[in-house]
Parts: sequence; C-alpha cells; structure tokens
Amino acid sequence: MQKTLSYDHQLERFNPLDRVITFDDFDRGFNGWMDLTPNFVYDNYESFNSAVDLTSWAPSMLSSAPMRFAASHGSMEGTYSLKLTTGAVAAPHTQPPADGSMGIALKRLSRFGDPSKIQIEAWYSYTPAQDRIGLGEEDIRAFGFYFDVQDGEHRYMPGVRYVNSLGGKLVKKWQYWKVADGVTHADWNFGVEDGWCAPGIDNLWYGRRHEDGSSDGYQWVPGGEQDLLYNESPDKINWLYFRLLVDVQKREYIELQSMDTVFDLRGIQPTLAERYRSIDNLINPIFYVETDTDRPVHFFLDSVVYSTE
Amino acid sequence: MHTTNTSVLTRRVWIRSDYATLPYEAGWATEAVFFTQVEGEHPDLTITTDISPDGINWIARGEPRTLGSDQSIAESSLTTFGNWVRLRVEGASEDQPARILVHVNLKG
Repeated sequence: MQKTLSYDHQLERFNPLDRVITFDDFDRGFNGWMDLTPNFVYDNYESFNSAVDLTSWAPSMLSSAPMRFAASHGSMEGTYSLKLTTGAVAAPHTQPPADGSMGIALKRLSRFGDPSKIQIEAWYSYTPAQDRIGLGEEDIRAFGFYFDVQDGEHRYMPGVRYVNSLGGKLVKKWQYWKVADGVTHADWNFGVEDGWCAPGIDNLWYGRRHEDGSSDGYQWVPGGEQDLLYNESPDKINWLYFRLLVDVQKREYIELQSMDTVFDLRGIQPTLAERYRSIDNLINPIFYVETDTDRPVHFFLDSVVYSTE
Repeated sequence: MHTTNTSVLTRRVWIRSDYATLPYEAGWATEAVFFTQVEGEHPDLTITTDISPDGINWIARGEPRTLGSDQSIAESSLTTFGNWVRLRVEGASEDQPARILVHVNLKG
C-alpha cells in the first residue's frame, strides 16, 4: 500500500514527534477528554477511603470563552475550546485540596508503536470568573499537566505544575512531579493508613504541602521562574504554548517548553511506583487547574497534540 | 449526525440547603435534558433550570419540577437557552438533607 500524508495546517503551530497519536481540536467535540473520577467499586458504588474527596471535581465543558463584559473569545482557531473549571472554594495551600477546588480532564489511552519518547503539546489560556472587580490574577493557584504511565514494571507520573499564586501572593514558578525523600505511605495519604495511592501516584492532590509551595510531591524546576502572559482584566485571555517531552525508555524527563522558553529536565526521574494490577501499557495525558480562593478559575485548551517517537 | 455528550454536574453530593450546580456552557447544543436523581430518603424537592448571559447573573427558564419524597428521578428540559445553564434544587435542610446526582445530556 502506498500512503499519501497530508497534514492539517493547524499542526504548523505544534512541533510533534514522528508519530501523531491524537490531535484534538475541541471545535469538533470533547475528543474523548473526560472528567476524572475515582473507582466506584465498593458497596453501593462507593469509592475507596481518602482524605481528598475525589468525586467532587467540576465537569469540563466545551467553551466559546464568553466573558462578562467582553465578547466571546472563541478559541485560538475556531469557536470552542475545552474548559476546565473549579468550584468557588479553596482550602489553604498547605492543606489537602478542598472538595471542588480543582478541575481535571484526561484522555484514556494505551501504549502504541513501542515508543521511546512521548510528548504532549497544547495551546491554552487561563482566567478567573469575573464575579468581582480587580485583575484576578492572584486568585489562580496553579495549573498543570501529567502523564499517567504504566509499563511492565512501574507506574509513574511525569508531570509539571505552574504555581501561579499561593495565599493571594503571586509566585509564578514551574514545578515538576517527584516525591521528596523519606515520604511514607501514610504521609502521602494525609494519614489514611490504607490509602489507595502509593507515593508518586496522583501528586496533584496527595503529599503534604508547605507554606512556600514546596511539597512531598512537587520539586521546583531549576530556573523555573516565568512571568506568564496574563492580560489586564479577567475577561481578556491570550493563547499560550506548552510542551512536555518524556523519555519512556529511561523513564526520565527530557524538557518542558513554555512559550519560547525551554527548561532542561534531562536526568531527572519521576518517582517509580510498583505496577498496579491490569493497567500495563497505559498512557493517559491529564490537565488540571486549581483555585486559590472562593472563586471559580478556568483553564481553556484550544487544542492538544500527543505524539511519540 | 449530531454531537451528544453527557456531563455529571453533581456527583452524589449531600445537600442541606438550597443548591445550584456550577455555571455550565452548553452553547454548542440545541437541546439539553437534565436528570436529577436522589439516593435514599429525602424531602420534596423543587427543581428549576436557569439561564444566564455571563455565568454570573441568572434568570429562571423552563417549567419547575417537583421531585416528591416518594420519587427518585426527575427530568428538566431546555431547547432555547443561549450559552450558560445551571440547575437549582430547593427543599433540602439540615433536618432533611438529600443526596443528589445530576446529569445533563446535550445534543446539537
């Protein structure tokens, strides 16, 4: 068979690896991106015991990015983006996330083509709801991305998080996912001895958090300060580029790109947990957003490209 | 062929006072059906759908529904609603709480 390939011109604003596995432009629907929920496998469909209510995250939606006083922004190209949002509630950043304080969306995939590298790229934007006067930038705690990966030996989660603001004070630094030394299973699960998750799994809500934004599950990216573009009102958004490249042969980070800045993460390994039952060869990409206060915040994904090599 | 999607707006949440789902954008769809389910004992509940120009200011739209204490599921439908929708549930209290599950199915 002779193949003729023609690429969507929208790929011009991405830098995919050799093989594009998925290219999701939310003008055509949810593209399989869905809300994250726990496993409802116990009596009366209850989920496992956790210090964090994993059932409570706000639903993602297809958004035309309409604003209170500005018009609809549409998306970077087209009308709709995928919007992650939060409830109007936040716990202090030193505590476990409050019910509904995060928005999470993922795509459930598996390994294909025996890749050595996997990469996620996205064009995104972020803003709080314009439910009060002011700029609103300080009310967005963080947003992030991670891959949930399991091979034949380990489950691990290479990811990054942009810490925008903590307790109303702007921080604007990148972190990567890796567990601090000496963290026990009970530490990780906020004291729940039989907690579901092993250290290194689901860093987005597990692991103890400290006043300065450091935590059991996140480490600061060296030189990771970055003043990301945030416009002058909550009802103005701009589209930003994001890329994370991971070596799944060595189980190491390679690099994070944010706008035109590239952070070298070579030689850093995410925490390797024991494999979980029956999910070998799983690779899920996942985005999330967190509010810092009693105000919904939004994270818009215009489009996402997942590619491998 | 139409696009369809079901989102869970409220996932088995205990309510003890008047309650509203988060603002939800549904502008891509031309019809919306909300399903409200209740688990276990509960008081009579009144269910109202709201629409909004901005996700902040709301106005009731559509016929309110009553979900009696002997019922477990109710539906609310909208066909002209602009972009923003939400669902309100009234009647729960500290003495008579309710555990609710709200789906919205969109099609367009």
